[in-house]
Amino acid sequence: MRRVIASLWFATHNAGQNFRRNLGVSLAGVFTMGLILFLVGGALLFTHSVDTVLEHQQVNASKIKIYLSDSASLAAITNFEGRLKRDARVTSVVFENKDAAAKEASADPNIANALKALQGDNPLPASLNLGVKRLTDLAAINEMAKKTPIVDKATSTDYNPDVIGKLRTLINIIEVVGGVIALILLIVSVVIIMNTIRTAVYARRTEIEIMKLVGATDWFVRWPFILEGVLGGLLAAVFSGAIVAGGYELFVSYTHSSLFGVPFDTPYTLTLLLILGGGGVVVGAFGSYLGVRRFLTV
Amino acid sequence: MSVAVAERPAVVPLTAFRPVISFHGVNKVYPNGTTALREVDLAINQGDFCFLVGASGAGKSTLVRLLIREELASTGRIFVDGQEVTRMPRRKLPQLRRKFGIVFQDYKLLPRSTVAQNVAFALQVTRPGQRHLREKVEESLWIVGLEDKLDKFPDELSGGEQQRVAIARALVHRPRIFLADEPTGNLDPDTSWGIVQLLLQINHRGTTVLMATHNREVVDLVRRRVIAIEDGRIIRDEAQGSYLREGEATI
Repeated sequence: MRRVIASLWFATHNAGQNFRRNLGVSLAGVFTMGLILFLVGGALLFTHSVDTVLEHQQVNASKIKIYLSDSASLAAITNFEGRLKRDARVTSVVFENKDAAAKEASADPNIANALKALQGDNPLPASLNLGVKRLTDLAAINEMAKKTPIVDKATSTDYNPDVIGKLRTLINIIEVVGGVIALILLIVSVVIIMNTIRTAVYARRTEIEIMKLVGATDWFVRWPFILEGVLGGLLAAVFSGAIVAGGYELFVSYTHSSLFGVPFDTPYTLTLLLILGGGGVVVGAFGSYLGVRRFLTV
Repeated sequence: MSVAVAERPAVVPLTAFRPVISFHGVNKVYPNGTTALREVDLAINQGDFCFLVGASGAGKSTLVRLLIREELASTGRIFVDGQEVTRMPRRKLPQLRRKFGIVFQDYKLLPRSTVAQNVAFALQVTRPGQRHLREKVEESLWIVGLEDKLDKFPDELSGGEQQRVAIARALVHRPRIFLADEPTGNLDPDTSWGIVQLLLQINHRGTTVLMATHNREVVDLVRRRVIAIEDGRIIRDEAQGSYLREGEATI
């Protein structure tokens, strides 16, 4: 027990001392690691934000409004509504009568004024508002609605198939690009960190040589370097995490007033910060392990 | 007829005859094709003091490196304290190296640590949690005559003093064998003589000493066992030898 405590103390003391003594190289390592963690964290948060916005748009996009002809009887409407409710592709059906349509449209002051000018005459059609499970089913439902006799012939449905396709493509592209960027950053980070730590280790090759010659085990030599790597990784994670989280908050408040508002996702941010911390520790430790390996062959 | 008890020869343990270091038909060829040692057979007993002499590149340092398994012999067998070094698994190397105290021509001190810290380092590494660390460090520095320089840094010391610190560090864990690879290579004759006297004292305490050297004056003055290497071969092994063979001359 005494030996274990003494070894731990030696490793920790040595790691701290070396970090201070080689402050320039240590900080260069922390800066490099921090920059990479920042890029990874930023890329992940950005992809997540775009994904959130697109998913929100997708939910809106998976709706279709079927306008009903003014001459349609209530029985025919109920019958059609029942048929749609039994359709497996449809998640919800809500009937909106002419008054509700007028009320909803009146939210726009121009339409409200136009409706007033008509003096009680309501030209807006009643509709069945459908929620659809899969975006790909929208076109088929649209076709089916157009063939139904009670559906308004002039303006039969309202949905935007173009936007949906583009959104889907955009989500795919962003996911692929985000993944590729993260992978490249990961490879680059391991190489850079390994070399940074190798420089730090090179400065202390005499110490390692002496340790080996007096009979230190490989792990005894490794531990101070690994702890130093962990310390650097943690510092890098703290700095990059603070910048990423701060940047995300700024981004959220900036987009708040725009068309595609991004909500601040607290659980995702906390998970991301934990991942950055864990990533910093693992990359720091692994980079040190690789960096010191070459000098242990004595 | 019975032999009287008093006439019986004293029982000497078999291990006393076992050399602490032995080489059997050892060859070393480096990856670049250079042959550093050829068919080396050698035995050094516990308590011996040996000089290993020869020109630069003769194979002295290779022999030292093979002993501590810094290098692996190409063929042949090497034993240290009864254990075969040549077949030793890597994980056992720390135990092997703890049997040795090693000093080099370039001292290999930690420049940013004090004299006491440099000496303590060897114990902290090999025996973490060692009790009475300070006392052991002070004792070791007292042996080399530097008990008043505990808190100095290496660059505040002369070359001879730095080598003494290296010797104190090599002694602090009480090794069985003391290896010195050109310990006087960077020192003037007077200082060199002081270092050799120190090694003789260490040997006097029962530690086996093997010193690789170029220093002709020292070897000729001390008159101890001399093992001469030339072109990787042992060409001479004399119990009380000199640097050169009798009648041999240098240019």
